[in-house]
Amino acid sequence: MSDKPDMAEISSFDKTKLKKTETKEKNPLPTKESDISGAMGSWHLIKPLILSMCYHALASAWSVNNFLMTGPKAFLTYASSVQVGAQSGIQECKHQFGWDRWNCPESALQLATHNGLRSATRETSFVHAISAAGVMYTLTKNCSMGDFDNCGCDDSKIGQMGGRGWIWGGCSDNVMFGEKISKQFVDALENGHDSRAALNLHNNEAGRLAIKATLRKACKCHGVSGSCSIQTCWMQLPDFRSVGNYLKAKHEQAKKLEMDKRRMRAGNSADNRGGALSDAFGGIPRTELIYLEDSPNYCAKNQSLGLQGTAGRECVQGDRNMTQWERRSCRRLCHDCGLRVVEKRVDIVSSCNCKFHWCCTVKCDKCTQTVTKYYCARRGRGRKPHNKTKQRHRGRGRRQ
Amino acid sequence: MAGAIIENMSTKKLVIVGVILLFFQAFSFMVGGPTTAVHYLATKCVDAAKNHQSTKWFMPWGPNQCEKIRTFDEAMAKKIEANNIVFAVHIPLPNMEMSPWFQFMLVILQFDIAFKMHNQIEDGALATVDVGLAYRDDMLSEWTEMAHSLEQRKLNCNFTTTKTYENEGRYYECELLPFMEVGSVAHKYYLLNIRLPVHERKKINVGIGEIKDIRLVCIHQNGGFTQVWFAMKTFLTPSILIIMIWYWRRITLMTRPPVLLEKVIFALGISMTFINIPVEWFSVGFDWTWMLLFGDIRQGIFYSMLLSFWIIFCGEHLMDQMERNRFSVYWKQVGPIVFGSFCLFIFDMCERGVQLTNPFYSIWASDVGTELAMAFIIVAGICACLYFLFLCFMVFQVFRNISGKRSSLPAMSKGLIFRFKFLMLVTLFCAAMTVIFFIISQVNEGHWRWGDHTVQVNSAFFTGIYGMWNLYVFAIMFLYAPSHKRYGDQSSGQCIISDTGANSGEDIQLTTTITHVDGPTELYKMTGKEAQE
Repeated sequence: MSDKPDMAEISSFDKTKLKKTETKEKNPLPTKESDISGAMGSWHLIKPLILSMCYHALASAWSVNNFLMTGPKAFLTYASSVQVGAQSGIQECKHQFGWDRWNCPESALQLATHNGLRSATRETSFVHAISAAGVMYTLTKNCSMGDFDNCGCDDSKIGQMGGRGWIWGGCSDNVMFGEKISKQFVDALENGHDSRAALNLHNNEAGRLAIKATLRKACKCHGVSGSCSIQTCWMQLPDFRSVGNYLKAKHEQAKKLEMDKRRMRAGNSADNRGGALSDAFGGIPRTELIYLEDSPNYCAKNQSLGLQGTAGRECVQGDRNMTQWERRSCRRLCHDCGLRVVEKRVDIVSSCNCKFHWCCTVKCDKCTQTVTKYYCARRGRGRKPHNKTKQRHRGRGRRQ
Repeated sequence: MAGAIIENMSTKKLVIVGVILLFFQAFSFMVGGPTTAVHYLATKCVDAAKNHQSTKWFMPWGPNQCEKIRTFDEAMAKKIEANNIVFAVHIPLPNMEMSPWFQFMLVILQFDIAFKMHNQIEDGALATVDVGLAYRDDMLSEWTEMAHSLEQRKLNCNFTTTKTYENEGRYYECELLPFMEVGSVAHKYYLLNIRLPVHERKKINVGIGEIKDIRLVCIHQNGGFTQVWFAMKTFLTPSILIIMIWYWRRITLMTRPPVLLEKVIFALGISMTFINIPVEWFSVGFDWTWMLLFGDIRQGIFYSMLLSFWIIFCGEHLMDQMERNRFSVYWKQVGPIVFGSFCLFIFDMCERGVQLTNPFYSIWASDVGTELAMAFIIVAGICACLYFLFLCFMVFQVFRNISGKRSSLPAMSKGLIFRFKFLMLVTLFCAAMTVIFFIISQVNEGHWRWGDHTVQVNSAFFTGIYGMWNLYVFAIMFLYAPSHKRYGDQSSGQCIISDTGANSGEDIQLTTTITHVDGPTELYKMTGKEAQE
């Protein structure tokens, strides 16, 4: 399964990728996949379809693929949302790990599955989770915007699509819809049959559950005279940052899977993803992130792992308003990695005295000011910092 | 010793009614929640026209959809101004249509406002919303305007995390804003076009932060629940009506005029029937937006009637020496009820009454309105407290009298005590059930999980409580009607008139004149004698 695309690939989906996959699709589908019937078959069909959505040769496959009961057009709309969602996941990842040694680099994401070096570290588990969450989040939002034809209402449990079922008992939540489609798309990427695939699926699920966990309940009373004799409650999406924060906390408490004990069971389980997965990681709740390998040393540059190292990274210090984690970023990124901190004084032209409208219009003056930025540098190389610049300006580069 | 049926009833009929009500309740378990909340995220349309003509409607999707932008960064790049942006929401989502079965439509507005260090929400910021509502009944015809208004909503937002640069882009947590309420859903498709016009000199929409999105939550009643509800009302109306007629016939057959308690029970029956009559059936065919208000009024009448009934029932069983049987005696207790309900009525008229003409009106939107509304509600609350103090005091008095005079009471007043205690017990039970179910429905998010099945308690709660109070009124009219069964040494060959007369004599004694416990009065003796002859 070396031709499997990974999350980063979806997010940076473009024409060149399409071309690349075109050649891949000429290979017949693996025979192993063709004998898996029913739903499993459709999973495996989705995978190439994401990358060759506009690709004609597969048009006939759509009729077989009836899991959405919609045409390729709808699938295409899903795919673009999936792409946007995966991107927002990665963006959030970058934000969350902005002051960590590992800062969610794109190269690492691609390497994660591509070079056959499918690492299953703490960090990749976070990437899987946040991407799945991003996809689910975006799908849910776009569903509320009316982008999809049968969003929320294709629940066979309630009744027929649209019409009667909707009038009788309403439709399922948009979040459910996001979850479902996200599952179909993101989990389909993971078509390996080893423990790593099972692990990634678990982390995807954890990401989706993170959205559910951060949902906020809101209620409205609308009884007689607005009293609470009747109230309607609903769950609303938080901003995606909350999901990121939640998953970051989960990342810190991620559990390492004891492979020697579980390898056998986990290895077999991937054949039957849904049910057996929970058996394999039976002891671990579905909301927790899990990993197999300890993280490599992110301080050092490691070409084979695609790590850039922390040399040259920016860090922050000296601002009272910052959190502990941020204030120690220079120590973590530079000093602890055997690097030193260099200061650079930069002139920044920024806007000030701004007048804002709620959207789109900003009337600003241009101000120039000097800020001090801090970077990690190797010891014994590069220029020595001037001692007189020690007087710390308001810390953060972006500030003012 | 048989004043009313309660002393010698047959339970079979009651059981039948109870079983049918249980059937409705079981059915409503399957319906799902009584209401559905649907989320909508407004699509940002660009109004390219220089002078905004209000006749143009912007569609978020489907044919003739507007020119959209995904984010406001895009608008920034294209130099689109805030005044050219129209938030469009189509209700419902694609491939669905609204139905008159939804009964009402309540829309809640929520702003997603991103925190920016330099562009924070000012204190007491007001969002001025220019909103238009249109409808159509098929996907191809033109939109017809239903309402258009310029509304102000106060932004009550707070930022829960620290206000630093790192947290820029996070959203404020804003209170839900009541946005729109429509009392009937007569059309299939609705379209909302929302603008946030900016006028710097007039300080309109200045300092409201950086709005990222507008979210709407549309609440409506489920069609399934409406149908079960209507069916229940249609079944209950004749049952209460029949028992009411039967009850009043019994009363009028008596030679004496009806006593106050009987009149009050009859009034309770009338108000129950009034609330039962399924006029809502018309809302399926007609566009009657006042149905919501009408429903409130009907409920209000019933509740105040029920509360008055309890007071008068207690008062009539108060075994003191006072001459009662007149409504004027109870003005002190009934006064707060009437005043309280009147306050709530005024409040309701201010909110839902005005909404008949302007669906976007909310009394909570303005400061004066909020104060006024709060004043009404507080006064009503005080009245409710006063009422319950009175009621508790009266119940306490009755029990004190009973325990104090039990030994000295003649055997016949045992029936009176039983009658009072029975109603106390049933009322307490009903009230407790209501409170318990209310708490459950508030705490439990409306559903219970039984394995894989989710059981909706909310619908069952509503039908159950409604049925229970119906049963309560039914039982009161049935049990407290004058009985035609006789006991003792009276001959069974009497004609009906004299029979009921005899009982009415006893009944008078039981309800009112028994208060003269020191001995049957002359009046009692006379009526009793007269009746027997």
